[in-house]
Amino acid sequence: MLEIRNLHVTVDGKEILKGIDLDVAAGEVHAIMGPNGSGKSTLSYVLAGREGYEVTEGSIRFNGKDLSEMGVDERAAAGIFLAFQYPLEIPGVTTMTFLKTALNAQRKARGEEELDAVRFLKLVREKAKPLNVNDDMLKRALNVGYSGGEKKRAEVLQMSLLEPALAVLDETDSGLDIDALKTVADGVNALRSPERSMIVITHYQRLLDYIVPDVVHVLSGGRIVKTGGKELALELEKSGYAGYGADAA
Amino acid sequence: MSGNMAEKAAQNFVEAYEAARTALPGADGWLARRRAAAIESFAGAGLPHRRLEEWKYTDLRQTLDKAGFASAPEHMGAVVLPEAAAASAFSTLDRYVLVFVNGRFRADLSKAARLPKGVELHGLADVLTEQWAKDLIERRFDEARQAEEIVDLNTALMNDGMCLRIRKGVKLDKPVHLLFLAADGGASHTRNLILLEEEAEGTVLESHIGEAASFADIVTDVALGDGAKLDHVKLQDESADAVHLATLRGEIGAGARLSSFTLTLGCGVSRGQSFIRFAGEGAEAHVNGAYALRAKQHADQFCVVDHAVPRCASNTVFKGVLDGQSEGVFQGKVIVRPDAQKTDGRQMTQALLLSRDAAMNAKPELEIYADDVQCAHGSTVGELSKDALFYLRSRGIPEAEARRLLVLAFLDDVITLAPHEEVRDILRGLVSGWFEEAST
Repeated sequence: MLEIRNLHVTVDGKEILKGIDLDVAAGEVHAIMGPNGSGKSTLSYVLAGREGYEVTEGSIRFNGKDLSEMGVDERAAAGIFLAFQYPLEIPGVTTMTFLKTALNAQRKARGEEELDAVRFLKLVREKAKPLNVNDDMLKRALNVGYSGGEKKRAEVLQMSLLEPALAVLDETDSGLDIDALKTVADGVNALRSPERSMIVITHYQRLLDYIVPDVVHVLSGGRIVKTGGKELALELEKSGYAGYGADAA
Repeated sequence: MSGNMAEKAAQNFVEAYEAARTALPGADGWLARRRAAAIESFAGAGLPHRRLEEWKYTDLRQTLDKAGFASAPEHMGAVVLPEAAAASAFSTLDRYVLVFVNGRFRADLSKAARLPKGVELHGLADVLTEQWAKDLIERRFDEARQAEEIVDLNTALMNDGMCLRIRKGVKLDKPVHLLFLAADGGASHTRNLILLEEEAEGTVLESHIGEAASFADIVTDVALGDGAKLDHVKLQDESADAVHLATLRGEIGAGARLSSFTLTLGCGVSRGQSFIRFAGEGAEAHVNGAYALRAKQHADQFCVVDHAVPRCASNTVFKGVLDGQSEGVFQGKVIVRPDAQKTDGRQMTQALLLSRDAAMNAKPELEIYADDVQCAHGSTVGELSKDALFYLRSRGIPEAEARRLLVLAFLDDVITLAPHEEVRDILRGLVSGWFEEAST
């Protein structure tokens, strides 16, 4: 599904990713762990196509297509979803309007029929319920005044509604207490399927107790320095990142 | 006639006055003398220009000299409304409609029969013998003299307008809609008078539309008795060759409330001035507006609120979106007099620049002479947030649609302050339409 080859990425003239190779097959959940500044968020942004993240060398192929040819919204319509570490507050746009616009834009881009208000409402309520997202939250401006937990639940709701082929979760555990973390993880786990891949980016092992990965990679200094099974995360929890050429942060 | 007569446009106005003098309404009474005094002081001062602080960003003299407007002709025949959405705005509402073509009332096109008892609607010429009309026309505010002085031009040349009087305790059952159509080019001078007696209530909607190279000079004088409530919504969508100058002067009685909202979409150059004075305690004034400009449009909002008495609240919010090489201006002032304790006065202006060549000038001011007050003012100028755009696009929303959502959200914040849900929906539709035009 995702093939990254020798990926070099520069931000503001500074090279952050220095030759990443990564293969994620359909249905797999990969965790990417690493200390602060190792390039974890850069990897997530470059997958989503954020402006200012320049690929200077190497390639990213998604379902056989070269991602560098695709704009941010085209990537989304093709099935890439990034759950933000810090979801943005958008005053004046209700969560409901946002979700409907996004879903219908993707459906339109894929040549599918757009959902009318009634069918959309039914669908969004069905998806929102297990995430404890009520109508009141949906009527409020997107993420405005949401607590940290509400923001992350709203991200998972977006993911559940948009049904991406590849979900990239950037530090989804940050700012969550254990109950909120469980709700979010349950939401993510419910979306695991043989057709859907996930990349879970995290600094801490804690999240991986709830979203158990198939493969764990350690990113340090812009390179993947170690790859292993889920036990690698536990190992890191004990020893920290000190052995991986970075400070133990 | 003395004074500085070098400018062409000012001279044309003086000549227009001389030519029309005997035919103007009120030619045989007090107004004739008032007009003579007004044209004399206008001729002395000339049109306002950039060297006056209150006109610093809008050179009306240069604009009108360049445009060279003659007086707008009287238009007798059938009229065709422009295609623009603004032309039919408000038409879905149950309302009384008064149509003005080239600044003159057209009874044949209007529909204002069966007014409730206690509601009077007249043309300007019909009320000039009434004391209340005289009081309103002669009243001055003077807190922003350079800005108010231009009213002299209107006083000298005004030849029509809507005069609405609502008697004590009477509530107007549906809005009065004034539709001003500039069918032909040229200058028109309109004076509207609105008097709401104690506890009276009403809504006045204005739309100014047209595709001609016109100069609309409109003064609306408002007096609200104690406990009266007036909702006033003005929509302006005239042509890129048009110049629009609108002045609202409002005196607000104890416990009364004025809620005014302006949506500016059209015109090459427009200036909206509001002068609000509280005459009694516990009153409220909301003077808000939105504007969306493109190409070389220039829109200036000027607002002075005078808290002359204690315990009044005023709130002014203007938000605008500027594309192309357009220019926005906000000049505002809240004055709190020494006795006006417990004043709550707020003023905010926010602009969103959609292009590198667009510009915004903002100058909100507070003048506070009382100590127990709550006052705030603020001004922001910014661009669409790149992060917000990225966030929306990362969910599959194409860039143009993401920009539209963010711009509409920005303006919706102030449209929410306009009176009446149906009116807000109409305004939202117009703004949304403006954006679609922009992106095609």
